[in-house]
Amino acid sequence: MRTDGGTERRASRRRVDRRDVLKAAGVAGVAGLSGCLSDIGGGGGGDTLTYGLLNPISGSYSSLGPFQRHGAELAISQLNESDDFEYEIEIARGDTETGASTATQAASQLVEQDGANYIMGAISSSVALALNSFALENEVIYNPGAAAIPITGASCNEYVFRSETNTAQIAEGAAVWTLENLGSDVWFHIADYAYGQSVLREWRSRMEASDAEFNEIGVSRAELGAQNYESYISEIQNSDADVLVVGSTGGDFVRFGNQAASAGLGDDIDIMNTTASFQSLRAGLGTAGYGIYSGVRYNASLTTGWNEQFVDAYTSEYPDDGAPGNFARVGYDSVRMTAMGIQEAGTTDPTEVKDALAGLETNSVLGDNMYRECDQQAMNPVWVGQNVEPDEGEVADVELIEKFSGEDAIPSCESTECSL
Amino acid sequence: MVTGGTLLTQLLNGLSVGMVYVLLAAGLSIIFGVMDVINFAHGEFYALGAYLAVGIAAALSGVTGGFWIALVAAPLIVGVIGGLTERVTIRPLYGRNPLYHILLTFGLVLVIADGIEIIWGTQPKNFAPPALLSGPITIAGFQYSLYNYFVIAVGALIAAGTWLALTETRVGIIIRGGSQDRGMVRALGIDIDRYYTLVFAFGCVLAAFAGIVLGAKQEVALGMGNAIIIPAFVVVVLGGLGSFRGAVVGGLGIGIVQTLTQTYVPALTGVIVYLLMVGILLVKPQGLFGNPEWQNHGGEEGDLLTGGGGGILDTTTRRYLAAALVGVLALVPLGIGVTYSSYIPNSLVLNVLVWALFALSLDFVMGYAGLVSLGHVLFYGVGAYATVMMAMYVTPVFWVGLLAGVALALAVAWFVGYLSIRVSGVYFAMITLGFAQLAYNLVTKFDITGGSDGLYTGYDATYGLGIGEVGQVSLLGDIQLFYYVVLALVVGSYLVARQIMRAPFGSVLQAIRESEDRAEFLGYDTVEYKRRAFMVSGGLAGLAGGLATINSFGVGPSFLFWLKSGEVIVMTLLGGMGTLYGPMLGAGAFLGLKEILLTFGESTPGLLGEVLSQWQGILGLIFVVFVIYVPEGLVSLPETLQARFGAGGGGGGESATDATDAEVSD
Repeated sequence: MRTDGGTERRASRRRVDRRDVLKAAGVAGVAGLSGCLSDIGGGGGGDTLTYGLLNPISGSYSSLGPFQRHGAELAISQLNESDDFEYEIEIARGDTETGASTATQAASQLVEQDGANYIMGAISSSVALALNSFALENEVIYNPGAAAIPITGASCNEYVFRSETNTAQIAEGAAVWTLENLGSDVWFHIADYAYGQSVLREWRSRMEASDAEFNEIGVSRAELGAQNYESYISEIQNSDADVLVVGSTGGDFVRFGNQAASAGLGDDIDIMNTTASFQSLRAGLGTAGYGIYSGVRYNASLTTGWNEQFVDAYTSEYPDDGAPGNFARVGYDSVRMTAMGIQEAGTTDPTEVKDALAGLETNSVLGDNMYRECDQQAMNPVWVGQNVEPDEGEVADVELIEKFSGEDAIPSCESTECSL
Repeated sequence: MVTGGTLLTQLLNGLSVGMVYVLLAAGLSIIFGVMDVINFAHGEFYALGAYLAVGIAAALSGVTGGFWIALVAAPLIVGVIGGLTERVTIRPLYGRNPLYHILLTFGLVLVIADGIEIIWGTQPKNFAPPALLSGPITIAGFQYSLYNYFVIAVGALIAAGTWLALTETRVGIIIRGGSQDRGMVRALGIDIDRYYTLVFAFGCVLAAFAGIVLGAKQEVALGMGNAIIIPAFVVVVLGGLGSFRGAVVGGLGIGIVQTLTQTYVPALTGVIVYLLMVGILLVKPQGLFGNPEWQNHGGEEGDLLTGGGGGILDTTTRRYLAAALVGVLALVPLGIGVTYSSYIPNSLVLNVLVWALFALSLDFVMGYAGLVSLGHVLFYGVGAYATVMMAMYVTPVFWVGLLAGVALALAVAWFVGYLSIRVSGVYFAMITLGFAQLAYNLVTKFDITGGSDGLYTGYDATYGLGIGEVGQVSLLGDIQLFYYVVLALVVGSYLVARQIMRAPFGSVLQAIRESEDRAEFLGYDTVEYKRRAFMVSGGLAGLAGGLATINSFGVGPSFLFWLKSGEVIVMTLLGGMGTLYGPMLGAGAFLGLKEILLTFGESTPGLLGEVLSQWQGILGLIFVVFVIYVPEGLVSLPETLQARFGAGGGGGGESATDATDAEVSD
């Protein structure tokens, strides 16, 4: 109750402040003050806007942040070269250090000092939620790179447009498939923090609601960042489960997967993970990753939408990165889809672009897409896949097994806790 | 249901983790026993071992036995690096208070961690055990991971070898003797100092070995050192600092307790080890097998060096300077839109002010009462959480939240102080660390504290800052009232702290820092004084935490992360502890330097830019230099320089000599 009223009041107050300052300050010499100069007559013909890329370059997600940044940078350089896009995009860069306080401070720097009025970034859900609030307060459009449901759910707001596939979309596609194809006796193992808990909640509720037979054999919860998973693995091995759904990612899943392989867990039980198709996880797991099933948000081999030209451009621009993965895809799609909204609105002013962008039919790496109006979540398709032994090298390949369309994978507007 | 097989599996799981703890803790413990060095960098040597092994194994890919060569070669290389580190950085500190070693090795953590990142990059490395050891094996119908058998066996072998070396060789006997009573060993005509390098290098070899063994089972990634060092400390503290037997029992015990808790009492996962640590420290501060003479270092313990009182500037000049600084800070927002954007005052300077207050709060106990709190982030985090939760759940008025934050921080400080102040020195540092880690783990467990995501939605720290319903007040354009509110609160806190220190209460505290025994003989209840000081300090830290939420839009577990405790210690020492204003300047220097390094790193292309962007490592390096050469901090820099290069004489030279005397006094 209070929240809604409060944010409304705050936002309108802030809007007046910023515009007043811009006018009062005059235009000359303060070009860096705000990116929306073009709207009040400073720009002339060649309109520019500044995209702030605020990625985790240090801290616990430092192994992923650079990919996200590369994807966004590639999109911006393509847009700047394109004749179809009428605006020039400048880049400002910041590091979240995978921490919310640092991220909001860096965001202030991007917006207030570098004049960014668009921000893309963050992978940690805690950081993204803080940036959600920041975007509303400062009236800048924000594309989060985190998958947590509340970002376009209970904590959504009109300035947040997400190209990342959220946890609920993966569950919507893969949960029932798991019951129907891998077995009905399910054990859940999660990393006990927001992400893992939401995997458990979403998968369990969909399995319970489905017509397929479902028996929950057990649940184990490891703390986030736990080093040793063998006690859980032994417990699971000694149970009657046919299939294990693991709700953890990053190092947590790599450590879990390596220890599971060493204990021979996968020999008896199918393992389904929500992110095991990620390049970083497959690399971290090596041979231990073979056979693991996974919800798939993106794969470089797709022939959907912009993907082929994206993969070609990405691999030639960043040869050290290898084929682009989901984080690069999110960076790229966020900027490209938002740019289509800017084009549609005919202005770089985020307060107008946000209205044009919501519900706008766009293309994307994953095919036709849109940030749907009710929660501004991109309607990405999802896949179920399996990590298989590659023809050469050690890092597993992903074999796509089944696709779920964007409409099928996204939960209904009524079931999200977002009202826009 | 507990069956025999399950229990056996879980016990073996516990043993295999515990064995790795033993290797780590044995090194830590011997190093502490002999040299009084609490080696925070131990986790980084552990990580370095794993990374080197990955590098060696990769270079030898195709050669059979690459893993085995790496397993032997990498620890030896780390041993050499460790030995050099001891020679260059730790050696100059012998004879000083052991707390300086904590500070120094904390700086080394930053340097080594960033070094690893520069060399190996941010991507995690896959480092699989050799095929010979992979997969499960069935013995007598019981299936279990072969690699874990290997870890347990090889760990036991090394632990036994270390024990034999310590008990059966001459060097070992000298080292053990040295760890029990250094003075006695010296009196017997043995130059114990020569063995320090050897001991340190050996500890690093054990750590590196542990890193490789565990890295092959888990993963080799950045942050692996950070993840292991705190549990390793718990083991050492439990077993008893300096006791090899303690490291073995503590390591295996913690490994088994952790594993069994995960299985049978999952609710306590993550907190059990800290509960144990705090509990043992309270009941038996020297740990299970620690030296009973645990607080008696035979008079060898040096003092904490505080910033010079007078320096080369007289009191009036300093007062003018301080007034000028506050004046400048008050004028900073006027530059918005003229010379810089609103980012500078509303974010950057605000952040500096908050950290200045946090550093001031730490100095209040560390610089004046000699209590080094390694868990000061506890009060900062508690203040932040209480402020946000009050605003979200009770009343949106920021003042009320802030007050609640301070009140709760005071209460927590009273509780922690009540329990912990009876122990001192390193043990106090460890117990505060334990409490802070406990809080860090607890906030992630409850919905009301937002779990691991924290509370970032629907919180407006600037609500109610003005009078009544005015909310966020813009004085002019982007000049915000909250900037002045924070400035006033920080300056006000400083003035209050200074007043307290000038009062008899402050004099007693300083007397305690100089010599607790003497203060006690004079009839002061020193424990009570320390407790009160600790409360004031906790309250100030809570205020800092509450103010920090203005710009972060809420609060999350990162507000309680232990590295923040380390950073604030760095700031305090960098500025000069025991002066109140020094640490505040230290916070400004630390954050200012970070900003400058990041800005230059961003605009400088190529390798230099990349190196500059590793700001933590560079700051760590500066910090190491400060601990060694300028332990009285930035505020003493003028007089240190004058004493060194000046014509000598004058007040400055004199007080610098005083400081040097303090190093070797007692």
